Formats: sequence, structure tokens, C-alpha cells
Amino acid sequence: MSTPTPTKVSPKRNRSSGANPLGAWFNQQTNAVKFSMERLWFNPLSTWITLAAIAIALSLPTSLHLLLKNLQTLTADKREVPTISLFLKQNVAEQHAKDLAELVSGLPEVENVNVVTKDEALAKFSKITGFAKTLETLTDNPLPNVLVITPRLNLLGDMNLDAEGFSAKLKKYPEVDDVQIDVEWIQRLRAILSIAERIVVVVGVLLGLTVLLVVGNTIRLDIENRKDEIRVTRLIGATNSYIRRPFIYGGIWFGLFGGILSLVIVHLALLFLVKPVGELADLYGSTFTLSGVDVLMTLEILAASSLLGIIGAWLAVGRYLWQDEQAA
Amino acid sequence: MIEFKQVSKKYPTGQLALYNVNLTLEAGEMVFITGHSGAGKSTLLKLVAMLERPSKGEVLIGGRSLSKLGKSQIPNYRRRIGFIFQDPHLLYDRSVFDNIALPLLISGMGQADIRRRVHAALDKVGMVDKEKTFPLMLSAGEKQRVGIARAMVNKPTIILADEPTGNLDPELSQDIMFTFAQFNELGATVMIASHDHALVDRMKKRTIVLQKVES
Repeated sequence: MSTPTPTKVSPKRNRSSGANPLGAWFNQQTNAVKFSMERLWFNPLSTWITLAAIAIALSLPTSLHLLLKNLQTLTADKREVPTISLFLKQNVAEQHAKDLAELVSGLPEVENVNVVTKDEALAKFSKITGFAKTLETLTDNPLPNVLVITPRLNLLGDMNLDAEGFSAKLKKYPEVDDVQIDVEWIQRLRAILSIAERIVVVVGVLLGLTVLLVVGNTIRLDIENRKDEIRVTRLIGATNSYIRRPFIYGGIWFGLFGGILSLVIVHLALLFLVKPVGELADLYGSTFTLSGVDVLMTLEILAASSLLGIIGAWLAVGRYLWQDEQAA
Repeated sequence: MIEFKQVSKKYPTGQLALYNVNLTLEAGEMVFITGHSGAGKSTLLKLVAMLERPSKGEVLIGGRSLSKLGKSQIPNYRRRIGFIFQDPHLLYDRSVFDNIALPLLISGMGQADIRRRVHAALDKVGMVDKEKTFPLMLSAGEKQRVGIARAMVNKPTIILADEPTGNLDPELSQDIMFTFAQFNELGATVMIASHDHALVDRMKKRTIVLQKVES
């Protein structure tokens, strides 16, 4: 062993040694980041299992949310807006029907009115159904004139829209024979969607708790494995926040990487679905396309999952530190 | 510097480790604590490091009672103490350098200073070439020296060593004791618990013998 040179150990034992506090803080953080990352690599199997559990727990509410969002765009799509059909009485003449259309279009609930005359309707009907020959045998056109009303969109969004009341109002016109409202199904769908929205929230909260527990438990095991290390660092003057730091970073990584993995899962699922959904939309003559996870949602998911990771880790370390303090 | 006033320590198991100890160490003194195993040598050191608290009486460091130290002040206090165990308690997933750097990192030192201090400490225990080695590849003596370097790197005012040579051969033990003496000459107060009477006698320092408490 070499002889210590007295100059190296000053009797004054100055400990600050002029280091700048920001640099020191940064140094501690980077070290914590480095060690917490190394811990993940140190035990790849358990890391992957944890990440997979987190990813699956996160991808379920994410995909439910996506499904809901897609259904909502479907019902909010202007081209898909349902209409109200006003069947006029047989004796109402075409010009009269057009006058009535003028009148109805002035109503506040109405966006626009389209008149389908009985001749147009017959022509269309014979074309679609292939009953042309049969129809030719008819002397009279049995079809009535129809007003096709497009209601205002904001009306549709309003769950309290009194569809019955509106239909009753329309029925009061003496020319009207019958009112057929398509609005009802969309209102029902919206009601169902708003229930589904709540379900997504409930599922999201439950699975968020799952993530919290998974991260918390993983960090707890990590702490158990590192009890000796913690004891040693405590002995050389580590503060609680120093001990906590690498575990909190560990929680962030679990949350963040779990979140990324869950997005990968959701994207794969979307890729899997996009073709059949397109085909289905085609069959309905719709141009609907599946919308995926946008940038904002991606960031939201990653932020939320990281936050869950932090909270989970914080709870686990906090519990340990508390126990440790009780024992001391 | 270190003062024990009528200190007794009884463990929750009922074992009475220390009874009515009165002891004063001057600043810059080096003392050996001897006595049979179970006489409370380790307990005495642990009380100074605040790893245990006395059941009765008080321990004063630099005139201040440790019982008045708040929980949040303990980490800062411990940074002024270098503790060496029989088993050096190294962290096996970190290199020798990182092990020794740990106290400096904890006290918030910058990377450049850490590098300089760790090299100085490694130089002092003669292990400069083992900087990047991991503890598993070291011999018992080398591990102990890394433990000593880690305890010294923060330039502590108090050095506590609990059977530091327990696992080592006589020659190496002697070497390590001289290292402690060197640190003592540089101003540190040193307390060493040892049951190696021959070695303690050779060092010609004040020796305190603890008797086993008859309970």
C-alpha cells in the first residue's frame, strides 16, 4: 500500500469543494437514470413480463376508446345524417308540396328540405326494384309526394331533442299523411354510446389501477432484492430521496415502455381490422375509414402510463421507507 | 470529540449489549475496542453511526447529543463518518470505481471531482489498477481495501471499523491497521473494534476493553 500524501487530505475536511449544485444534481439524476436502466436489462425476463402486463392492461381501454371514437365519428358524419320523411296525402298536388317544402324549411329545427315528387319516386322505385313491368300496368301512381327533411346537426347532438314533439308538429299540417323519423335510431345509438363511454372510463380506471399495482409490485420486488444495497447507501449518508430516485425512474421506464408497447399492440390490432372494416363500409355505401391513434392521443397515453409508473413506484418505495423508519 | 455518557443498550430481544458505558475520545484520537464477542463492541460503533440508539444515556459528538439530531439530519451526519465492516458490504453489480464513488455521489459531488477523489482513494489503498474490476473478482483483502477506500473517500472526521481484519491474514491485517493509523495522523478520529489482541498490542494505541454484561 502506498503512503498517503498529506496534501491530498486536508485537515479542514472541506466537503463542498466548490462543486456547483446544479451540476451535482444533474450528475445524481444521470446516475439514477443510468442505474435504473441497467436494472431493466439486468433481469430481462421479468422486465418483459412486467412490460407485457402493463401493455395489455393499457391497450384494452385504449382500443375500447378508439372503437367508441370511431362509432362517434360515424354518427357525426354529415353524409350519414339521417333524415325525416314527410309523406304527403295522395290528393296533394306537386306544386302544393313544393309550397309546403318552402314553409317547412323555415322551421328552426330544419337544415334543408328536399322534395321527392311522386313521379320521381316511381321512376326510382321501378329502377331499383325491377318491378318496372308490374308498375307499368298501374293506371295511377300509388306513391305519394314526399318531403325529405334534413334536421339541423346541433339538434341531433341534443339528447333531449323531442323527436316525438317535432314529428307531432309536422303531423299537424293538413297535407301530411305520415312522418317517418330516422333520428330516433341515431339518438338511441348516442345513448348507447354514452353508456359505452362510461364503461370505457370504468374499465380505464380499473386497468389503470392494474398498471399501478403491477409497477408497484415489480418495484417492491426490486427493493426486496436491493435491501442490502439500500442499507449500505443509508449508512454512507443517503437521503430518502436519493434512495427513492432510481426506483422512481424505474417506475417511469416501466410506465413509458409499457405505454409504447401498448400502442404497438393497438396499431397492430388496427392494421388487422382496417381491411374488413373498409369492406363493410363499402357494403353500406359509406366512405367511412377507421381512424387510429393520433399524435395527441399517443402523447396522452404515454404521459398517463408514465405517471402511473411514477405513482406505483412512489407508493412501493414510500411504503418501504416508512417501514424502514418504523424499524429504526 | 466522541463522548458516551452512562450509555446502556438493550435490544428488543432482551439482550443487554452495553451497560452504563462512560467513555471520552479526544478529536484526532485512535482507540481500539476489544473484548469477547458479545461484549458490545459492534453496538458501541453502531451507536456512534446512529445505526442504533441508546436505551439509556446519550452519545455526544463534538459536544452535541445525537438524540437531538432530527431524522432529516442523519444522512448529513453519516457523511462525516467512514464505517468499515468485517464484510465490506460492497455492491456487487457495480465496479470498484462506482462503489468508491457512491458516498461522493450521495453527497452531491460533480463527476470531475468524484473522478479525482476516487483515484486518490484508490491510490491510498494501492488498488489503482483495479478501478474497473467488479467486486466478485477481488480477493477478500482487496474487497476490504475497497471498503476502506469507500469509507475514506469522503474524508470523514470519524472512522469506525468493526473487525476490519477479521477475514484477513496477519500481514494484510497489519497493513490495513497502518492505513488507519495514517488516516488518524491526518486528523481523523478512529475507533476500531477488534479481538485480535496481538495486533492491537503492536499498534500501541489506547485500548478499551469491554466486559460482557452479566444479565
